[in-house]
Amino acid sequence: MMNAGATPKTNHLLGLRETDVSRITDILDTAREMKNIINRDIKKLPTLRGRAIVTLFFEPSTRTRTSFELAGKYLGADVVNITAAASSVVKGESLRDTLLTVEAMGVDAIVMRHSAEGAAHFASQLVKPVIINAGDGAHEHPTQGLLDLFTIRERKQNLSGLKVAILGDILHSRVARSNIWGLQKFGAEVHVAGPTTLMPVDIEKMGVIVHHRVEDAITDADVINVLRIQKERQEKGLFPTAREYARIFGVNAKRLALAKPDAMIMHPGPMNRGLEISHDVAYSNQSSIQEQVQNGVAIRMATLFLTLTGGKTLETIN
Amino acid sequence: MKLLIKGGHVVDPANGIDQIADIVIDGQKIIGVDLGLSDQTISGGAEIFDATGLVVCPGLIDMHVHLREPGLEAKEEIRTGSEAAAAGGFTAVACMPNTKPIVDNSIMVSGILERARREAAVHIHVIGALTKEQAGKELAEIGDMVQNGAVALSDDGHFVEDARVFQTGLSYASMFDIPVISHAEEESLAGEGCMHEGLVSTILGVKGRPAVAEEIAVARDILLAEYAKARLHIAHVSAAGAVELIRQAKRRGVKVTAEATPHHLSLTDEAVYGFNTATKVNPPLRSADHVRSLIDGLKDGTIDAIACDHAPHAPEEKDVEYRIAANGFTGLETSLGVILTALYHSKELTLNQIVQLMSVSPAAILGVTGGSLAPGATADITVFDPDKEWIVDSKHFYSKGKSTPFDGKTLKGKAVATVVAGQFVMKNGEVL
Ligand SMILES: [Zn+2]
Ligand SMILES: [Zn+2]
Repeated sequence: MMNAGATPKTNHLLGLRETDVSRITDILDTAREMKNIINRDIKKLPTLRGRAIVTLFFEPSTRTRTSFELAGKYLGADVVNITAAASSVVKGESLRDTLLTVEAMGVDAIVMRHSAEGAAHFASQLVKPVIINAGDGAHEHPTQGLLDLFTIRERKQNLSGLKVAILGDILHSRVARSNIWGLQKFGAEVHVAGPTTLMPVDIEKMGVIVHHRVEDAITDADVINVLRIQKERQEKGLFPTAREYARIFGVNAKRLALAKPDAMIMHPGPMNRGLEISHDVAYSNQSSIQEQVQNGVAIRMATLFLTLTGGKTLETIN
Repeated sequence: MKLLIKGGHVVDPANGIDQIADIVIDGQKIIGVDLGLSDQTISGGAEIFDATGLVVCPGLIDMHVHLREPGLEAKEEIRTGSEAAAAGGFTAVACMPNTKPIVDNSIMVSGILERARREAAVHIHVIGALTKEQAGKELAEIGDMVQNGAVALSDDGHFVEDARVFQTGLSYASMFDIPVISHAEEESLAGEGCMHEGLVSTILGVKGRPAVAEEIAVARDILLAEYAKARLHIAHVSAAGAVELIRQAKRRGVKVTAEATPHHLSLTDEAVYGFNTATKVNPPLRSADHVRSLIDGLKDGTIDAIACDHAPHAPEEKDVEYRIAANGFTGLETSLGVILTALYHSKELTLNQIVQLMSVSPAAILGVTGGSLAPGATADITVFDPDKEWIVDSKHFYSKGKSTPFDGKTLKGKAVATVVAGQFVMKNGEVL
């Protein structure tokens, strides 16, 4: 068989699959320093002064976009948001033209969210600015993966040997994919559970352990990462009813009791309380959902800083 | 005017020749193939082509190409597509009917043949639509198209979902003894998929087209062909289960033939990593176990022919994000090189088998002339260098389609000359 072309090494952040452990460690370590900055009264650093960042979102996501925007501003960069209409994407001109236009404006980095898998790769091959993938279809959402790693590392110190359960719609989840790569690179054992219809084929070949009883995945888990269920999956017939989903796959206090006593609960948000997660679990002291949001800003500061400065240490900048 | 192709390694499976020999051509016909023929038959004035170190075989025939004319000339024209064929070593191609409008009547068939007579560098055979507008509802004017030159019928690009319509089409076509070519893929399963469903689609998060979508369709079509006692040809087989279904059907005497493409025989879905839209094709590039089954199918005769499914597109249809990129890519200029690289130099197939798959079988399936160097046959001849290494550079293609997953790859084996009806249409890589 003839071989496929290799992906070139760049400063872009397109996915955690192709990002090596040392680069991830750099980002996580830098994010710790960034988190200290966020907790100061005066957050603004001059580190990225004079740099222009565009957040280019073809799919709405207030949370991720705002997180990147604040991250850029805390580091002194100019950040402009562009929300592009998804309808024109169908014509096949929009993404290319929009990227070329944004490039022509002289920006240094483009943070991109798009419904098509590979959109960030496409951008990275088309234009010169650094591309940061803020979610491409069901492929990857690397900064979410990084903030999840960061949040786990804060609570558990070490990722190696942890049992992490990722629950729900694995098939459509870019968060799940980025988590699977990131966690496995640091030696965590990843278990996935969800309806067979929301489980992609051959996923066990990614190195994870697959369950269809959510109890099996949760038992003795250190970390439970609950994915968002989109109700439209139900309309497409991938599971019968929301009620049935909540009963069979939802994470509630009774199921949580199967996990380690100090197990942490994560959710990439926004939650459907009462569907994939019960209200009491979401707001228990085992929940780290609010920390995830704050850590998201720190991770995005670290990512922007490292990709735009080429990995100089924070000290030399200060 | 006589032409002597001297000292080449002649591979002519139809006549059991696989040795160094000379070929003498007079006008449009082959006079003879033998050693030392030159001395007695040629008496002055013959053009001599020295084929020492080269393979000389009956002209290659690609039974599955899209020439896009009429209506989609930005992608390809009959002239440019035929030049791509000549450059790739093909002396004849059969074009699929999914042009604009669709070739579903005799006027369209005649029109393409007429334009081909004036502009094409190689022989062009026309495949008519099985159903009106390829809509899968009513039969096209099959008899009328056949009487005006159509050599096969196909709704290629679509699976004929209505089993009654497909069975009726098979049955009707059987009166004219021409094959119905099936694009076999159950759409409700393949749906919006952009690549093979498997580990790579799971990693990339891309919707998949499962192999079972093809296997179900092939199974249905075989059963219908058996029932209708009609000739069925399965286009671009890509799934292991489909190969096995065809193998079993042949054993029990169903009149089924099949083709595989150079890309399905040489690439896997791993080529999709990085989201290069040149790897997007329907049916999709599959995993290594499927590729293995296809090669085994070629070896044991389950798959009869190699056809490239030449599907040129305009750049703006490929230079987009993966999900919305057009399916397919240009293939005529890389087909022989890919097959020699992937299957001959790896010792999977002999030259004799490759000529059988790329010339003899397609001629037999379509019932067109070609596939033989017998005295009296039309002098359609391909000369190729099986060892020539070259780097694919789509910028230099004759085809208007520049997208190919082989761009930049080194291939071993290339057509050197193409002779159509006694005339060189390509020599040393240049279309004349
Ligand atoms: Zn087809
Ligand atoms: Zn086709």
